[in-house]
Amino acid sequence: MATREAVTVIGRGTHVRGRIAGEGDVEIHGRVDGDVALDGDVTVEQGGLVASNVSARRIVVRGAVKGDLVASESIVLEEGARVVGDLRAARIAIAGGLVRGYVQSGDGQSAPRAAAKSAARPVAASAPKAVAAAAPAPSAARPAQVTSNGSPAKKAAAPAPQPTREVVQASRDRGNAPRAISLAGGSPAAKHGPPSPVVPSLKKGAKGALKKKA
Amino acid sequence: MASTVIGAGITIEGEVTCDDDVLVQGTIRGKLTSRDAVTVESGAVVEADVTSGPLSVAGAITGNISSSDRVDLQTGAKVVGNVKATRITIADGAQFKGNVDMDV
Repeated sequence: MATREAVTVIGRGTHVRGRIAGEGDVEIHGRVDGDVALDGDVTVEQGGLVASNVSARRIVVRGAVKGDLVASESIVLEEGARVVGDLRAARIAIAGGLVRGYVQSGDGQSAPRAAAKSAARPVAASAPKAVAAAAPAPSAARPAQVTSNGSPAKKAAAPAPQPTREVVQASRDRGNAPRAISLAGGSPAAKHGPPSPVVPSLKKGAKGALKKKA
Repeated sequence: MASTVIGAGITIEGEVTCDDDVLVQGTIRGKLTSRDAVTVESGAVVEADVTSGPLSVAGAITGNISSSDRVDLQTGAKVVGNVKATRITIADGAQFKGNVDMDV
């Protein structure tokens, strides 16, 4: 649809209790407690709060939504978005923000593609959160450590740096990998070289603490 | 540009509460409350009780109007309901049916 209806703005100090329907673009800076069902673009701006379901052609979120988002074309969650609810659209981009809910992209018919995409998305969703990205690292590092134990010469000291390479490689395309390294990197850096380990240093420290205790 | 705009083609069924001025080009059914100015443009339909600051009407309002300031019914306006305001103007060509209460 090429028709550009007048833009509707729900201003900052505005509270709508009820249903918003029709066609045209809507920007929400205020608060909406009621379903939003439109043939047009819906933008929930920073500071905006929608406490119900939203269905539209395209949905962009920079504010908060508590409810399901359904778009016929696309959903984009930008920095600052907080969504508790399911996302369903042909294309879904999570460029930042926090999401809790089921994400399904692609058409309803092409199930495999939708499944693959929805499987891929949560990774992107967790990327901005340093904690969430750092959390999977230990689980990834542990099996790597076990397998690498056989190859290195120094069995006692070496295991720490070895898995880091794998972890770094695995998380290279995550933007926050360097930050996680700098947080975790400590004593083994001098021994190993530039890329300091993510989690093993923690483990090493823990071992040391245990030895001291014992 | 008003801080809140209900565009043409948009229908709100429910209650709209604003701190700032409101421009209505679409449809509101229910209740419209604003502390600031409300403008109902030509083509807009408001089937709601309206409580506002200054109110300017060129569209249709069905419902009671209570304004803390003035109410201007412009040419082409169609208002059915009681109006309570400090001042009121009804332009030539505006349709109005209801009581007027200017005793505030």
